[in-house]
Amino acid sequence: MSIDTKFIGKTYPAHTYEVGKEKIKEYAKAIKNPDPHYLDDDFAKKSKYGKIIAPPTFAVVFGAHLIEPVFMDKELNLNMAMLVHGEQELEFFEVVKAGDAITTTAKISDIKNKEKLDVISLELNSKNQHGKDVSRGKYTFVVRK
Amino acid sequence: MTIKKGQTFTASEKVDKYRALYYAGASGDYNPIHIDPEFGKMVGLGGTILQGLCTMAFATKTVTDWAGDPGKLKKIKCRFSAPVMMEDTISVKGTVSDVQAGLARVDLAVVNQSGVEVLQKVEAEVEV
Repeated sequence: MSIDTKFIGKTYPAHTYEVGKEKIKEYAKAIKNPDPHYLDDDFAKKSKYGKIIAPPTFAVVFGAHLIEPVFMDKELNLNMAMLVHGEQELEFFEVVKAGDAITTTAKISDIKNKEKLDVISLELNSKNQHGKDVSRGKYTFVVRK
Repeated sequence: MTIKKGQTFTASEKVDKYRALYYAGASGDYNPIHIDPEFGKMVGLGGTILQGLCTMAFATKTVTDWAGDPGKLKKIKCRFSAPVMMEDTISVKGTVSDVQAGLARVDLAVVNQSGVEVLQKVEAEVEV
């Protein structure tokens, strides 16, 4: 069954994520990125950011809290067994720092019905506690049918 | 650093046996295709595959290491074109395709040890 295109534009409730310093370090190690901006407290303190910052792709960690409700959305009813991540875009604005509270909103930006698959795109917008944009993500998933 | 069109940089990353488990813990992506080799075999993948976003993070690291400051990365995008298996070696080659208005555009080739492109249409924008 195809994904109904009437869901284009559907939005999901905002989620606020507190960025923990140790979570940044855990993530940086998991992606094998030993950049001292992420791991070295002394280096970070002396850097232009003044504290530990998150790797740019950490945006998908707080973003995941908005992807899950889309995957679980009963009304949308995605066939998760047939779903794969097709494409990813990330844009970056203010740098994310340890201690930030990042609020993310999500909407379904596009749904395409093709013969053998459907394509669904989500747009996520994230702001920090100062109301400044930190990132925009476009997640594109392919659902075979 | 003066960044010019045509400039290139490279890096590579070995995907160790447990990388997808580390990434699952850090990112929250515990899809069984990433953490359960038996499940991976059952669905025809021949084992567990690495989270695509982890491969994207490897490619991103190549760019931020080259730029020297992670805050200079303004955009990155990719298409997930082939699965990455544990024990694969991922090689990344970046080429500056354009420098304009304080932004360098970089095209990235991201391949495994057999030369298969695991990411495609990989493009980044970096402040210069």
